[in-house]
Amino acid sequence: MTPTRLGISTVFLFVIFALQESVVSRIHLPITGFSLYLAVLICLIALEDRNGAIVMGFIGGLVLDLAPTSQSAFGQWALIFTIVGYLFSVNMENVGDFTSQPISFVLFIATACAVALTMDLVVSLMLGESVGSLSRALVVVAGNFVWTLLFTPLFLPFIRRAREVTLTSRERS
Amino acid sequence: MARGGSNRSRLLLVILLVSSLLLITLDLRGVGITSGSRNVTQAVLSPIQKASADIFAPVGRFFSDVKNFGRIKAENADLKSAAARLKKESAFNADIKGQLEQLKGALDLAARGGYKVVSGRVIGRGSASTFSQTITIDVGSQSGVRRNMTVISENGLVGVVKEVTVNSAIVLLMSDPTFRIGVHLARSQSYGVLKGEGTSTYTLELLDSTGSVQVGDSLISIGSDNNRPYIPGLPVGVVTAVDHTTTTLAQTATVKSYSNLNDLGVVSVVIQAPTAAPVKPINPTPRATITILVTPTPTPDAVASAAPNPAPTPTLSKSGKLSKATK
Repeated sequence: MTPTRLGISTVFLFVIFALQESVVSRIHLPITGFSLYLAVLICLIALEDRNGAIVMGFIGGLVLDLAPTSQSAFGQWALIFTIVGYLFSVNMENVGDFTSQPISFVLFIATACAVALTMDLVVSLMLGESVGSLSRALVVVAGNFVWTLLFTPLFLPFIRRAREVTLTSRERS
Repeated sequence: MARGGSNRSRLLLVILLVSSLLLITLDLRGVGITSGSRNVTQAVLSPIQKASADIFAPVGRFFSDVKNFGRIKAENADLKSAAARLKKESAFNADIKGQLEQLKGALDLAARGGYKVVSGRVIGRGSASTFSQTITIDVGSQSGVRRNMTVISENGLVGVVKEVTVNSAIVLLMSDPTFRIGVHLARSQSYGVLKGEGTSTYTLELLDSTGSVQVGDSLISIGSDNNRPYIPGLPVGVVTAVDHTTTTLAQTATVKSYSNLNDLGVVSVVIQAPTAAPVKPINPTPRATITILVTPTPTPDAVASAAPNPAPTPTLSKSGKLSKATK
């Protein structure tokens, strides 16, 4: 991952973050809301190699930590997505690249969002933060999984295309 | 080569993990850089949120409208005729009119309590990436809003100001799991703590195990030192169920808030509470009740035996109470 692409990816993530905070979060969906940002970040992480996934996870987590509405400690999401990036890249090296299979990829993104939210819940509990009732938290995680599963196919092609634009000729080959 | 690459990945992973942990430690120790960066983000985002609030306001309710499609269809015919009449009567935009009603209600509540308030529009809601429940309003330090100020709506308590920038503020809603407020019951004057549960219901824990709590009891805020974060005398909610099976010493009850937190368009921040103490509790806005008057049809016998000075006719109200209506 070149520094230029890292910079472009960071700006892109911040744009998605602004979109999430100002538009997507205003939509009242049944059960719970949908996080466009989480889905896009997981998608970008999955398309990177191991080093790229770790760095992208850290940067993406830091952007999410900037959320003014966040109650969690600053750096918590960076920690979670660094781990998520590493785990996913190792997993992909073992099971093979499935990003070219749309159904598997969408299912993977939805599952990964649920895993990331669960990790946030666990880390919050470890840091002594109040997260409310466990049943409510599980409903939020399950709701997010369902919405991610339904909405991701709508924007996944655009995310892939946007990422391809930022690739250097060496990375493309 | 592969081992070299793997080692480099591990080194990168360790460096970034340590960096994350360092940031968390700094934040938990209260270093200003981390909270400052969130304030900068809020300052950058608030103009975008304001613009999107104007543009996407109708989109926000799209999915709840789809969910209630059947009922909406049935109401459609009635609304069509009503809409034709309303078109002539009102030139106001429906959204602005609704916000005006909420603002009027909030100001009315503030006037009854003698509070000095600043009103603002809700321009954002808490992100779906977090478990916290917040709203963003378009008034900030420029309008006199500071941290830990009470936020009210037309019906009562909404939450407390958590973060402030120049022209926006983030309000922690009373439904957030971290929210706690001291309250007393209007009827028995028992004291307790109300806790947010992340849902539309709340839990009340009475401080006195011998205190009395009943369904329908109104909860009034006790207030904090110097009226921050909470002002006294504010309607908070009503008891909907009492837990008799609790194994703890404290009595608990389920509470419903007076404010509908899903429908907030305009809220008011109390920037100054009345200086004269004690503050009298404000009664929540009374809800309209329907009374049905039943008058028996006179029979020929009854007419024949009617007295020259007829007694008042007994009437039955919907609440089941028998009253007398004079002719």
